[in-house]
Amino acid sequence: MNSTVVSYFAQSNEFQNTVAWFSKALGFDATSLVAFVIFAVFALIIVGAMATVGGLGTYAERKISADLQARIGPNRVGPFGILQFLADGVKMILKEDIVTTNADKFTFNLAPFLCLIGVFATLAVVPYSSGFMLADLNVGIFYLVGMASLVGVGVFLGGYASNSKWSMLGGMRGASQIISYEIPATITIISIVLLAGGLSMKTLINGQGGAPHEWYILHNPFAFIGFFVYFISALAETNRAPFDLPEAESELVSGYHTEYTGMKFGLFALAEYIEVFVVCGVAVALFLGGYKVPFDLGSGAILVEKLGLDSMLAQNIGQLLELGSFFTKTLVLYYVVIWVRWTLPRLRVDQLMTLCWKYLTPIAIFNLLGCAVWMYAFEGKSIFALIMAASAGSGGGH
Amino acid sequence: MFSNTLFLASALLTIGGAIAVVYSKNLMHACIYLLASLFGVAGLYACIGADFLAATQLVVYAGGVVILMLFAIMLTGGTGNRVNRFGLEKIPSMGNQKTYFFAGIAAVVSAAVIVKIMIPVLRANPNIAPGANEATVEKIGTLLATDHILAFEISSVLLLGALIGAAVISRPRKEIHD
Amino acid sequence: MSTLNLDVYMPVVILIALAMLVAGGSLFLGSLIRPHNPNKLKETAYECGEEPIGTAWANFNVRFYVIALIFIIFDVESALMFPVAAVFKKFNEIGLGGTLLMSILTFVLVLVAGIVYCWKKGDLDWVKSFQHQTSTPPTFGKKE
Repeated sequence: MNSTVVSYFAQSNEFQNTVAWFSKALGFDATSLVAFVIFAVFALIIVGAMATVGGLGTYAERKISADLQARIGPNRVGPFGILQFLADGVKMILKEDIVTTNADKFTFNLAPFLCLIGVFATLAVVPYSSGFMLADLNVGIFYLVGMASLVGVGVFLGGYASNSKWSMLGGMRGASQIISYEIPATITIISIVLLAGGLSMKTLINGQGGAPHEWYILHNPFAFIGFFVYFISALAETNRAPFDLPEAESELVSGYHTEYTGMKFGLFALAEYIEVFVVCGVAVALFLGGYKVPFDLGSGAILVEKLGLDSMLAQNIGQLLELGSFFTKTLVLYYVVIWVRWTLPRLRVDQLMTLCWKYLTPIAIFNLLGCAVWMYAFEGKSIFALIMAASAGSGGGH
Repeated sequence: MFSNTLFLASALLTIGGAIAVVYSKNLMHACIYLLASLFGVAGLYACIGADFLAATQLVVYAGGVVILMLFAIMLTGGTGNRVNRFGLEKIPSMGNQKTYFFAGIAAVVSAAVIVKIMIPVLRANPNIAPGANEATVEKIGTLLATDHILAFEISSVLLLGALIGAAVISRPRKEIHD
Repeated sequence: MSTLNLDVYMPVVILIALAMLVAGGSLFLGSLIRPHNPNKLKETAYECGEEPIGTAWANFNVRFYVIALIFIIFDVESALMFPVAAVFKKFNEIGLGGTLLMSILTFVLVLVAGIVYCWKKGDLDWVKSFQHQTSTPPTFGKKE
């Protein structure tokens, strides 16, 4: 249900004592106030972590692309060039902010804000671990889909506001690409919701286990295909290559962010890299078992039994393990995203639309119907459960 | 305390966005203020505990209808600031008698609808506290699958009609080459 | 006494406020330390070295609008499917899975009929040509 970071900490005694102390000091019930403070602190931590991941993502992209192209990449700023993204950030802040004379000033300034708001709002439901999720909304995955489409509005307005033909074309293509690829992604998400039986991220992850044979990707063949459909659609939604026609460097100069200089371009780029991380995180949560650790180590119950630790400490250790599991899987997918960018050539805009409406959407609908029929016919058991049941049945029959 | 803040912010966003839509001189800006207003409505839904409705509002309206309107504005080229020589905003049907006639009828109908909605609101008991957090998604799903299954299926037919209608209307007229 | 607890929406509001703060703050910080030398040439739109001709806000092709319309229809369809999909598992457990499966199938197949219609009538094609096709249409990069 609606569990949050605060409800995770509410299990500990220190939390209750703090709330009681504040209530006595301030005179009114301080649960909301303490909750607000905890939320604010964790939101700051998550935003900071995501901004760092976004920045390191640019560095990782340059290093990995260099590796794929047999060169070295940035290696001057800091050890192995790892502080390159800080240098880039400082450079972008110091650049002059030019607003072209014919641009629509209000919309021009608003577009990067919209992109960033859309991406940051999705961070509220990304399942980092069972306790550290900021808010496990009842409609978690649906809310995430809605906020991701706000980025499309931002892209379109960015292209429109610049009053430059390249930007306009890039903005319109970008917006139509984002909205088109939302459909296969949403339909694939519905097929996973069918398997899990709920919309909140916790329900979706609790339907899976820690070991790979318990993940939804290996649950039935329809979900397996669904993973690739979702991955491709999500790549296209974030305007990453090979779907990066809206920002095609060789065709549209720089597409919808041609006329943006300095920090505003930096905000667009930051929003894009964080969105890639969020999309990979959602793919991990839906298909690859989320934050679940094998052998159920994440709940801390085994640690309490075997090592006799205090319950809260064991839970914290379990949470750290879950965080590690989530980040490992997401960063592996992030690497695959970068790898795909520097391997495949760019799709033409009509190929892009054909791929979405004539290939991915029919396949996604077929997956949805297939998952529904599988759920009905086999009572929601995965392939492995069926094989185990069949072999146990045949084994016991001897 | 937080529910009051959320309600205040959502209400301000809704009403402020709506007023800005009406007073804006640029059609594109009006669309952006509409986006803000729809966000406010989603916040209001969240305030009364309708979380699925709030998410649907975000997905369908803020994410879909606004983009559709932006594309429509671009298609019809209505982005310039229209001002005539007196500095007044120039709308094609401004000052037409037919416009005022229909506007009068629309005002009467709207007033009737508002009165019909407000009567139960004004008669309601203001001391009832809203219920606890419920899982509205399961309830809506169960109702759609059992009591309102006909509405569910007819909505798909309605969507089919909308889809075909939209495709037919926006198809360019076919030139006959021989 | 059970009241509505809206604390769960606090992170959403906090994060939206943080986004505006981060964006606004970094831009404000930049405005203090960055140069501001407006120059007529710098402020014209970039058109590969030429003077920009005309405004970019000209009418554009209707196919963007058709795509947006089809997207809206499928978006509403998925919004309607979400609650039904969420309860499908429960219905399966109590034995009513078959009826719900039929309902879902009907719902989806009606819309599949719609998309097949659009496909056959050519509304999903990006390049629409009503002239006689003398060249072969794009084949997704494969050569014959």
